Amino acid sequence: MGKKHETPLLDELKKGKWVSFVREIERAAEKSERTEDLLGQVEQSYRDKVTHWKHGGMAGVKGYGAGMVGRFTEFPDKYPGVKECHSMRINQVSGFFYNSDVLRKIAGIAEKHGGGLLNLHGSTGDIQILGLRQDEAEEAFQAYAELGFDLGGGGSDLRTPSCCLGQARCEFANYDTLKICYDLTQAYQDEMHRPLFNYKFKFKFSGCANDCVASASRSDMAFIGTWKDSIKINQDEVKNYVKKLNVQKYVIDKCPTKCMWFEEDNLVIDDPNCVKCMHCINEMPKALRPGDEKGASILLGAKAPLVTGPRMGMMFIPFYDVLEDSKNNYEWLKQLISNIWDFWDEYGVTRERIGELMQRVGVVTFLEGIGLEPIPEMVDHPRSNPFIKFEDEEEND
Amino acid sequence: MPEEAKNKRLTDIGPHDFHDYLPPVIKKNYGKWAYHEILDAGSMVHVAESGDKLYTVRVGSPRLVSGSFVRDLCDLADKYCSGYLRFTTRNNVEFLLEDEKNIEPLKQDIAKLGLAAGGIGNVVANIVHTQGWVHCHTSASDASGVVKSVMDDLYEYFVEEKLPAKVRIAFACCLNMCGSVASSDIAILGTHRKPPRINQERLLNLCEIPSTIAACPTNSIRPDTQDGKQTLRINEETCVFCGSCYTVCPAMPIADPATDGLSIWVGGKVSNARTKPTFSKLVIPFIPNDPPRWPKVVEAVKTILDAYKEGAESGERVVEWIERIGWPRFFKITGFKFTKYHVDDFRLAETTMNYSSHTRL
Amino acid sequence: MTDETKKRLEDKIIGTIKEYTGKKRFKPIDIVKEMEKEFSGDGLSKAEIKGTLKEIMDGGKLVYGYAGGSYLAIPEEGN
Ligand code: HEM
Ligand code: HEM
Ligand code: SF4
Ligand code: SF4
Ligand code: SF4
Ligand code: SF4
Repeated sequence: MGKKHETPLLDELKKGKWVSFVREIERAAEKSERTEDLLGQVEQSYRDKVTHWKHGGMAGVKGYGAGMVGRFTEFPDKYPGVKECHSMRINQVSGFFYNSDVLRKIAGIAEKHGGGLLNLHGSTGDIQILGLRQDEAEEAFQAYAELGFDLGGGGSDLRTPSCCLGQARCEFANYDTLKICYDLTQAYQDEMHRPLFNYKFKFKFSGCANDCVASASRSDMAFIGTWKDSIKINQDEVKNYVKKLNVQKYVIDKCPTKCMWFEEDNLVIDDPNCVKCMHCINEMPKALRPGDEKGASILLGAKAPLVTGPRMGMMFIPFYDVLEDSKNNYEWLKQLISNIWDFWDEYGVTRERIGELMQRVGVVTFLEGIGLEPIPEMVDHPRSNPFIKFEDEEEND
Repeated sequence: MPEEAKNKRLTDIGPHDFHDYLPPVIKKNYGKWAYHEILDAGSMVHVAESGDKLYTVRVGSPRLVSGSFVRDLCDLADKYCSGYLRFTTRNNVEFLLEDEKNIEPLKQDIAKLGLAAGGIGNVVANIVHTQGWVHCHTSASDASGVVKSVMDDLYEYFVEEKLPAKVRIAFACCLNMCGSVASSDIAILGTHRKPPRINQERLLNLCEIPSTIAACPTNSIRPDTQDGKQTLRINEETCVFCGSCYTVCPAMPIADPATDGLSIWVGGKVSNARTKPTFSKLVIPFIPNDPPRWPKVVEAVKTILDAYKEGAESGERVVEWIERIGWPRFFKITGFKFTKYHVDDFRLAETTMNYSSHTRL
Repeated sequence: MTDETKKRLEDKIIGTIKEYTGKKRFKPIDIVKEMEKEFSGDGLSKAEIKGTLKEIMDGGKLVYGYAGGSYLAIPEEGN
């Protein structure tokens, strides 16, 4: 079959050893005429060095303000197949676990109702189906629903939560990331599908300080696994590592708080001084393991640059007992979340993320607003400038 | 809603329960894994306290895939691991095997499909990236094409373990940064360099004036009138070309083929191991768009990677290496030019200066 | 909330969005706050207003738009 559009520039990207996305668009185009037009438009972008998607226009399913993004070509006459080329976000399975049966069905729906192209996965975590028309959205949505899948977040709402694979396969996981991710996603379906916030809000769950889902740099509320008691040491395994690794140089000297050393042949850790950074455990996984009193730290306020600059998450809750609270249906956590959202509702402005709100009103005002006491774990060091706003009623004690 | 049909409509059912897709060996040993070992860049084994073993084979994917690609993966999963597979946060595919003997035949089948097993351990992991010209209206560049070109060049670093530590590369095609580039070892970022252009006719139809003004981080948008009609004016002196206004107001397109391109950033890190998480820092302010293969971008990434491989000690992430040798030497070694754009003159400027007499001379 | 109050609330929400189309984009939380003020005499809770808004959205009498952030809009003809 002849190609509908010549694509000499894109063809260059079929060369080379790394798997080619152009080949993938072509394979989808073999089954979908509209995806042939997508190829044509992308080729034109390569020629013109500019995007040819138009801004503006809506797409969605009834009742939801989330889960679909509208996309329209600038050249509907030239590329009629992508006159509408919307994407649909399907909430992924916690930890991205699937089996072949369900994945085939997911792909089948994407071929039947869309352009046969998928993102596995989007940056936030959803499966994305590309190339739907508005008039097929409802049917696709219901087809996924019958498989037991719903749409993810989008717009000014709770975005699709995501997590690392945690206890399913990782010995470092300090709490059940998959479970809390699933449970909270279910608990907040309304907040995900019907945007009622000032802007987006994200939860991400990492089982330990390695933070494999990058929660600390991109989620308004990041859960990072940690423990309270002592690192478990297997001295025999330590000795095995000593035979093959310069433990002094690569493990002990790199401990950020210098809280480990050898006494004779035994490794000693001053646990109260350990900041649970994971370095020593990463290096010697057979010898060292997190303790038994496990949970998560909660960091707030991370975000990408827009609107007022990027931010990392700030430590707010050093230790949250995930397991205990999960037995109470996360009552404590849900209260905290509701305090945060209420404060944001009340004082936030349009397109202001939680981190930006904190910056604007001041961390102390924010803490008072959400009902938390300041504690030294929140700061690197106490303030060093003397411009203190004392309050009248403050009493010296 | 009285109509029958509406009652049957399924909404708010949430995501599928993950328990349904966990392989039996994971169900049995959930939360009871003892340790893992990396076998090679494409495979690892997790050993449970019970002694059970789970073998993982990781394969790079382009993220943007066809239904046929998905079926190829499913066929392999059926053949070697009872249909169980998963994806990673960096868009890799992982086959979850119970039988070690299946690793080699699976890898051979993977190679037959033109795919590569790799990405585990001290290697270049798959590049997290965004939509670009394939699907977004804000992009200053394509995403998949740049990623493909860079990965073709770094292929050996994905399939073989040979770097001092993990190297995470990320790509985003505009400052919205849908990919998490802000804290990667090497980040490639789509960059606009001209202010948005105001389309007077569409403005009043499509845009709300106050929220457009409020969108600007530098207060560069002011109300104005033209021929008696309300419009907006941009202060080109202060605009930083971020595109935030375009997100809110479609009548202010910012993409410009003549001046758009990419910038390169290094030394971000999100893990808390040893040192605290930190953002990536600017090293090349601008490289023009050069499709289809962006050779200058590929060369820049390779230069950074080669210098890092040469200079870093075992276990040092890119940022740890640079902080040990100092930024002046990093610029000297790589040959990148330090310019006025490298000095932060935005809001957070005060935190990035050197407040000491410490300097490497 | 009585049926009569609810009807008034619904009409007021949809009416406000209609009235301001092309002038101001209400994000959902803005309209909720606005209605809290407007109906303060009826003692409506925020949750009740949010619930009514949800029913309006589910019924398709208003739709969500997106321009950097989400807002409420009158459905376009033909959809
Ligand atoms: C209308 C324009 C935009 C489009 C089409 C768009 C599209 C997307 C898509 C498809 C994703 C992946 C979603 C998923 O996996 O579920 C995403 C993620 C993301 N978007 Fe956008 N986006 C837009 C505007 C923005 C804006 C204005 C910002 C920031 C101010 C932004 C920041 C992000 C971030 C940070 C992520 C990744 C978050 C994460 O990794 O969790 N995007 N975007
Ligand atoms: C030896 C210790 C480590 C083990 C066993 C380990 C294990 C894993 C696993 C299982 C994943 C896939 C997670 C998922 O998809 O949800 C992953 C991904 C990741 N890890 Fe680690 N990790 C280790 C150390 C680290 C360290 C030290 C860092 C950072 C310095 C790190 C950063 C990441 C990142 C960024 C990802 C996403 C990569 C991808 O999806 O391909 N990890 N790791
Ligand atoms: S964040 Fe920690 S617990 Fe989760 S997968 Fe990564 S290393 Fe394992
Ligand atoms: S986890 Fe980090 S801080 Fe704690 S002992 Fe190990 S290296 Fe030191
Ligand atoms: S990074 Fe920017 S251009 Fe790229 S997909 Fe996201 S919003 Fe679009
Ligand atoms: S591009 Fe950014 S800085 Fe420039 S006017 Fe728009 S919002 Fe303001």
